[in-house]
Amino acid sequence: MIKKLLIADDSPVARKILKSCIPKDRGYEFYEVGDGLAALQKYEEVRPDLTFMDLTMPVMDGVEALMKILELDRNAVVVVSTADVQKKTIQKVMELGAYTLLKKPPSKESVQEVLLRVEEHLENQKRAHG
Amino acid sequence: MDKLQDCVFTDEEIDILQEIMNIAFGSAAADLAEAIDLFVVLSVPVVRVLQAEELPEYISNEIQGYDKVSLVEQDFLAKFKGVALLIFPSGIGKSLIAMLESDVDSTFESDPLDALERETLMEVGNILVGACVSKVAELLEDVVIYSPPRVIVENLPYKAISQDMFEPGNLAIILHTVFHFNAQDVSGFLFLVCSHESINWLRKALYEFLKQYE
Repeated sequence: MIKKLLIADDSPVARKILKSCIPKDRGYEFYEVGDGLAALQKYEEVRPDLTFMDLTMPVMDGVEALMKILELDRNAVVVVSTADVQKKTIQKVMELGAYTLLKKPPSKESVQEVLLRVEEHLENQKRAHG
Repeated sequence: MDKLQDCVFTDEEIDILQEIMNIAFGSAAADLAEAIDLFVVLSVPVVRVLQAEELPEYISNEIQGYDKVSLVEQDFLAKFKGVALLIFPSGIGKSLIAMLESDVDSTFESDPLDALERETLMEVGNILVGACVSKVAELLEDVVIYSPPRVIVENLPYKAISQDMFEPGNLAIILHTVFHFNAQDVSGFLFLVCSHESINWLRKALYEFLKQYE
């Protein structure tokens, strides 16, 4: 079950847009950061169930942050939220271990679909670890 | 943020504009990658407000290090109105030709290299500028028309960049990003320079865009 959500995006507006697409009645705990390094540090601190990760960010970009988070926790669920929808970008982040990709700007429907898939994935993970 | 920018846009407005540009540049990069087998790395978009007469110097400073440049310039006309400038370092045209080779029409084979380079730059410019400006317009519910692109091949930056894009005394909003072409290890610059006439409309459109997420 998703309880903690981390949103990593250098744009406060992008974070606001994404949050507005997430249902408000689920009692999620939100954590927000503005760069990849802060995302890595926040991940270590709160161990979110789901991380939304922008790619183009200052200090540390989303690709590096994704790799480092997965080094830290190979079961981390990181959804890359990006406007960069080049096939090679998608291929690269999926090969690195991203859970899926959410195209910007997100919609309530696209976010809901991701949330459902992640819920299911976390349930399966829980069952597998018994 | 500088004083002039503070007078024209609030922090939140700059932020919305930056995110819209991020989406638009991303969409343009994907379109280019689709057309050419090229992976484009994007940088964080920058938004600046300047006096129109400061534009050539600002652009020259941003592209510092390029002795000669090739440039595609295209006007876009709508409520969102301005000039798009796609600037590449000298020699990129030939590299792009090599990448486009399989798609290039056979009639090009007899064309002199500079004509082919011009065609190639125009095509890349069309894709990038068209995708980017159209995406901004779409997000802000505007419809844009374009002037035919002008291409300048291998010229000195101060000669290639028009000194009179806008009337002196007017404001210009600059939105720009750096496209890094991984395979070629070179960067291209895309500047969208919006005229002061767009400012009031733009401010309103930015809030309309955000309103749908509230």
